[in-house]
Amino acid sequence: MMAPALPDMPTAGGFLLVLAIMLPIAGVLLQFMLGGRQAERIALLVMPAGLAVAVAVTAALMLSGRPLVYHLGNLAPPLGLALRADGFSALMLMTTALIVSAIGLFARADFATPTGTVEARAPFVFWTLLLALWGALAVVFLGQDLFTLYVGLELLTFGAVPLVSLDGRAETLTAALRYLLFALFGSALFLAGTVLFYGEYGTLDIALLATRTHPDTTSAIAVAMMTAGLLAKTALFPFHLWLPPAHAGAPAPASALLSSLVVKGPFFLVVRLWFGAMPGLTDLPAAQLLGALGAGAVLFGSVLALCQPRLKPLIAYSTVAQLGYLFLMFPLAGGVGLPASVRMAVWTGGAVQAVSHAFAKAAMFAGAGLIGQALGHDRISGLRGVGRALPVTTFAVAFAGLSLMGLPPSGGFMAKWLLVRASIATAQWWWAALVFAGGLLAGGYIFRIIAPALSAPEKPLPAIRTPARRREVVVLALALISVLLGVVPFGLTTLLAVGNPTIAHIVPR
Amino acid sequence: MSESLLVAAPALPLVLAVACLWRPLREWAGGLLILAPVPALAAALVVRRSSVVTLQHGLVPITFALDVPGAMLLGVSALLWIAAGAYACLRRCGQPLGGQAVVCWLLTLCGSVGVFIAADMASFFMAYALVSLPAWGLVVLDDTERAHRAGAIYVAFAVLGETLLLIGFALLAAAGDSLLIRDALAALPHSPWRGMTLALLIAGFGMKIALIPLHVWMPPTYRAAPISVAAVLSGAAVKAGVIGLIRFLPLGTVLPGAGEALAAVGLFGAFYGVAIGVTQEHPKTILAYSSVSQMGVIAAVLGMGLGAGDGGAATAVAFYGAQHVLVKGALFLAVGVAATNSRRQLWRVIVPAAVLALGLGGLPLTGGALAKLAVKGVLGGGIVGMLANLSAAASTLLMIHFVHRLAGSSAVEDAAGGRELALPWLLLAAAAVAIPWLLFPLATGGSRLAALHPVSIWASLWPVLIGAGLALLRRQFERRLPRFPEGDLLALGKYAMPAAMRIGEASERLEAGLSRWPVASLLLLAAALLLGGGILIAR
Repeated sequence: MMAPALPDMPTAGGFLLVLAIMLPIAGVLLQFMLGGRQAERIALLVMPAGLAVAVAVTAALMLSGRPLVYHLGNLAPPLGLALRADGFSALMLMTTALIVSAIGLFARADFATPTGTVEARAPFVFWTLLLALWGALAVVFLGQDLFTLYVGLELLTFGAVPLVSLDGRAETLTAALRYLLFALFGSALFLAGTVLFYGEYGTLDIALLATRTHPDTTSAIAVAMMTAGLLAKTALFPFHLWLPPAHAGAPAPASALLSSLVVKGPFFLVVRLWFGAMPGLTDLPAAQLLGALGAGAVLFGSVLALCQPRLKPLIAYSTVAQLGYLFLMFPLAGGVGLPASVRMAVWTGGAVQAVSHAFAKAAMFAGAGLIGQALGHDRISGLRGVGRALPVTTFAVAFAGLSLMGLPPSGGFMAKWLLVRASIATAQWWWAALVFAGGLLAGGYIFRIIAPALSAPEKPLPAIRTPARRREVVVLALALISVLLGVVPFGLTTLLAVGNPTIAHIVPR
Repeated sequence: MSESLLVAAPALPLVLAVACLWRPLREWAGGLLILAPVPALAAALVVRRSSVVTLQHGLVPITFALDVPGAMLLGVSALLWIAAGAYACLRRCGQPLGGQAVVCWLLTLCGSVGVFIAADMASFFMAYALVSLPAWGLVVLDDTERAHRAGAIYVAFAVLGETLLLIGFALLAAAGDSLLIRDALAALPHSPWRGMTLALLIAGFGMKIALIPLHVWMPPTYRAAPISVAAVLSGAAVKAGVIGLIRFLPLGTVLPGAGEALAAVGLFGAFYGVAIGVTQEHPKTILAYSSVSQMGVIAAVLGMGLGAGDGGAATAVAFYGAQHVLVKGALFLAVGVAATNSRRQLWRVIVPAAVLALGLGGLPLTGGALAKLAVKGVLGGGIVGMLANLSAAASTLLMIHFVHRLAGSSAVEDAAGGRELALPWLLLAAAAVAIPWLLFPLATGGSRLAALHPVSIWASLWPVLIGAGLALLRRQFERRLPRFPEGDLLALGKYAMPAAMRIGEASERLEAGLSRWPVASLLLLAAALLLGGGILIAR
């Protein structure tokens, strides 16, 4: 079913991949050297540069139709290390650059270093970790061997954990520790699996592994451990214990980054592992298990989102639910002799879900932050009248909600449409039923936010702090992107096919 | 050239809705509400039938087309939107409408226009979502407890309908491998999932046209919504479900099982709506139940058409629907206008309203009589035709009850606004009388004289007479009638709530368990074992 992918030769423009990783990392180093109030300035300078690199990578892929490859030190694997960007990497790189930049602009008001001080703890930590996360995600999206990916994964965790406890309250420290410990557990599992792979095949390069792996006992144990480790880090049900307190407790810009981008990193690696390093796994019952966990996430996360009395925990549980859809990719894209058009629908559906959820969730958390600051609380029962006081923010949150509910023309709708099409084509109707139920439940928890927000307040709202228009516009832009993603999937398919041997041959260029 | 009107019809409301985010423009909102439906009206009048416009500029091709059923519904709906828009802004006595009201109104209008001309599934689905969801913002405009409750019920059913249709459309698209409605429909009879697809589509659109038992959202919604909103929802927006059934049921193919099932459900609804409706007090609620009943008749006609493979049912149903657009819209406005009149002058409202209302029961020479004549052929002369005649008698009973309540309940609410409110109402009422006569030859291919023949006059008169007799009986037993809450079966929801609460509580307990370290860690190891086992098993 899949042509054995030969290791790619280095391509012109491969240095862009090094830049994509090194720009944010260099930014972090500079921040440490210059310190204090320079941290914010450096982050703001890196943002347009990193965005430009992401655009360049995407453009290079679209123009050449081939993946970008770079061999570090000019040594080809298995001796050297490779960086490689296929269509999915480029898409995630682009998403990351856009969301990091948007949240960076949004966070300036929250994490400005107070005048008169040289350095403040929370702003300094935030601006350095913003870039560190960016660099870690770039490693995760571009790394081509399992050890590099492990390093990226660790960097991601260590960047993400302190963001949870930026305000230093006891409860957020507990949440951060919980996150750290469970993520470490996941790391240990991932590392153990990596070691097993190395012992068995003598390489960790994904392209080489793809040609060598066969499902014997050792490989099965290795893949199972690595996958379980990644599930713990991406917080797939029932391993989500750390996510709601962490994402709900973090300051709004940090929650936005964590919920939209950070959890997508480990998911991306599961895709790399299952479709890249060990192609053929998706035919197996294990793929159905991943799908089943995803289904559990959709149902359980949504029901708990319906039960939350406060806004940010509701959004956090919605993340638990929305992550579930991503794991439908595994049972749907498998199957020997599956028509390539179905595989294409699954890839596009999964990718659109990942990206549109990222934008929608960033908008939601950022919007929730503005609402929380304006009202001084985020109790859902106290949201009445917010629509009049913060019309732009409410509008943005409603738009992001549209995408989460999967209503047209949003990206969430397109993702669900494609996944339902694939589940019909593969005669796995139960996934279609799941999308049906998940859409209804999401409608319920989004309605819980929108309905009070748009109704008149019982008593006039106390004098509220109206946020800067600039911040509201950032939130609105994020929400609009998540909605407009529904009308561009055909462009995305062309991009996703680049360097993806399972679908490349059927997409016209 | 005239085809560009097809694009302008849905585009203008959309553009205006976006433009209304700019505050100064909203000051003119009243004028915008009247202006926005004009291209749709023009398109219905001018654009050649069977013209097709495809927009290839975007990444997704959008196809609009106009056929006879679409044009009839489009034209009368546009008229209703204009009249109701005029009513809405006259009622505000010069004060600007709120931003929420204007934007939601224009978006709903865009969808309402779009569903009649969309020729591919993507744009149809988009338009259908627009006609359904933004209307929530209109239902809750009064911002009362009642309005919010009705809004929640409305939106729950709208989302449920959307989701059913999403799966139904996916099945349809899988059968035909084309997004054009025509192609997908041609492939449907050979689809392996034919039954499932039809069930999902009928349930999805049935939600909109209040097919029993999916009707429960309608009475509370119309009761709670402002008059002008209830008028456009009951008249125009509901027809999105009608056009959906017309477009997506393979009416040219004989499908006996599905057709007769739909006809049976529809006919049941035609009587059920009346049975509950006569126990209601408020004129708006009575009108809502009348809609349940009338849409039941439409479903019955479509079902019979589907069972017999009668492609002509589409035009007949569209004509029936077009007549209902105007009459129901005018009757809702009448409720508002009646409230502005003193008791002595009330007859000026009651008399025209009574003529329109009895038209729904098929009073000879009214549009309703023409509509019943048009669908007669599809319903046939057997038991179904007989039941349809009896449902006309039942409708008469309900409409007499409505007129009675309208006369008795003046100045109840919505009393704002002056005499000028009568103007859009009278125009709409005149249209409701005249337009069915104009459309009749187009819809049936027959002559208007057929409707004037003594035999057809008698055929439509006797159900009205029976209905009048029933109304007298009803007066006798007024006291002993049972009382049903608005949305009747909705009251069963109070049994569902504790169950939902229990699910929520159980989930929270489960969450507390999952959040404990030993549990989470063991689960993770178990997952690793299962995954490994799952890989090895298949080796």
